[in-house]
Amino acid sequence: MRRASSSWTATSRSAEPVTFLTNIRDYPWSGLVSGIVPSRLASYLPARFQAKSTQIVPSASIAGNALTVVIAIMSFLASLTAGAVYMVNQSASAWVSDIASEITIELDPLVDAPDIEKKMTLVSLFLAKQKGITEVKPLTAEDSAKLLEPWLGHNAALAELPIPRLIAVEIDRSNPPDIELIKNALTQNFEGVTLDDHGRWQAEIKTLTRSAALGGLAVLALVFAATIAVIVSATRSAMASNREIIEVLHFVGATERFISREFERHFLGLGVRAGLVGAIAAASAFLAMPYVMNLGSGGITEAEMHRLVGPGRLDLWGYLLCFFVVFVVAGLCMITSRLGVIRVLKAYE
Amino acid sequence: MIRFENVGLRYGTGPEILRDVTFHILPGSFHFLTGPSGAGKTSLLRLLFMSIRPSRGLIFVFGENLSELTQGGRAELRRRIGIVFQDFRLLDHLTTWENVALPLRVMGKRESDYRDDVTDLLNWVGLGDRMHAYPEILSGGEKQRAAIARAVIGRPELLLADEPTGNVDPVIANRLLRLFVELNRLGTSVIIATHDYALMDQLDAPRLVLLDGHLQIR
Repeated sequence: MRRASSSWTATSRSAEPVTFLTNIRDYPWSGLVSGIVPSRLASYLPARFQAKSTQIVPSASIAGNALTVVIAIMSFLASLTAGAVYMVNQSASAWVSDIASEITIELDPLVDAPDIEKKMTLVSLFLAKQKGITEVKPLTAEDSAKLLEPWLGHNAALAELPIPRLIAVEIDRSNPPDIELIKNALTQNFEGVTLDDHGRWQAEIKTLTRSAALGGLAVLALVFAATIAVIVSATRSAMASNREIIEVLHFVGATERFISREFERHFLGLGVRAGLVGAIAAASAFLAMPYVMNLGSGGITEAEMHRLVGPGRLDLWGYLLCFFVVFVVAGLCMITSRLGVIRVLKAYE
Repeated sequence: MIRFENVGLRYGTGPEILRDVTFHILPGSFHFLTGPSGAGKTSLLRLLFMSIRPSRGLIFVFGENLSELTQGGRAELRRRIGIVFQDFRLLDHLTTWENVALPLRVMGKRESDYRDDVTDLLNWVGLGDRMHAYPEILSGGEKQRAAIARAVIGRPELLLADEPTGNVDPVIANRLLRLFVELNRLGTSVIIATHDYALMDQLDAPRLVLLDGHLQIR
């Protein structure tokens, strides 16, 4: 047997205990890449990102495959929930913003009835001169009647009713007008003219959207809690099937840090790949949603649907949120595997 | 090299398995560890390998008091000890060559630095033509030789073997014993736990005999 003097004595490798916060800078992050990238593609990576030799933790096992499926499903549900909550919040914010940027002027149809059109023009001109008002849009009698159609139907009787005349006023939110001042001026100069700043409606919408947001966050928290519980449990099961590997590595002199890193790399890769499958599936669902909404909306027009449930599509931040779930899931797998290693090794210390 | 002073061991609240065990292992020595089944041979090996702690007494390994060592410190000492298990403990997803190279890999050595050493050692233990085979297709004797090769590849100063001939026929058992003797001649201290008296009779080596938890040296 040939003796290589270099391999007779143990090298002076680090003997410090494993902690989560220490050694982050020294951590072999580049080695994790080979765990994430599928083995077929890993050979194309630069040398420093490639695994040094056969992986100590086997890449395929029954427990590992089951874990992959579980992670993919839970990531899909978590990404879907996160995206949906984000979408609801965005729609709710848009509603409040729309309402807050408009005020409505109402003209009593029973006051100055014969000259109501002239009064509409005068009031509109008055409003257009005010600072902070960007657009004044007087609604015709037909427009006002149309607003009542959902309740009263389309019939001749509508023409007989004294329907209030409305002027929609859009305000500049960056330089808003003094609403109280305009309200007082209208009351003093025009009889039977009132201003509605949508304050009550805004308060109700805000309460509604706040409730929707809190409800969404509660659902998101529940889904995340379930995801964490399922992933931690599945990772533990997968770790149990690797107990023998941990023991053998321990007996051949591997430090806790070495064993932890091997398992972290394996489970991080598994978590990222399975998490990506779930997140991509959820993102695809959000991409398809506007088309599905159009297909299933029956007689409701796209604009009406848009007004009811928002655009039904995510913006860039929404999609990033879906993919953020992948990091959380992969991190969970990684941490759980490390804790699993520590638990097994505790039996030997 | 190894010193036990009044070591006692019990699992949980059970009876004491080892009582007042005291002995000293010198560098380059060869010992058999024997006794009836259940006498505590495997427990004593586990104490030697630092995979359990004694209930009482002091253990010194390579001059270090184990009770004063950290977890990392024990891992460092463990690299200076090779262990052969009765059930081999080879990893089924690694080839024979990769299993044998494992201790060097966990030390952080480059494969290019140990490639020839591992191949030479496998040839030396008669597994030159089986180095790319997976453990599940190896015979019991081949597995045992692979396990021995893995235990000695890191050039340990102490080799512990738990019933290394328990799963092989007498011919293979003889060959394995010759292998241990050869390793000992190369400077490694060897402790073989066995209750195979025929095997022990082949060699004039001191016997550590465990009886009712007490150790006698014969």
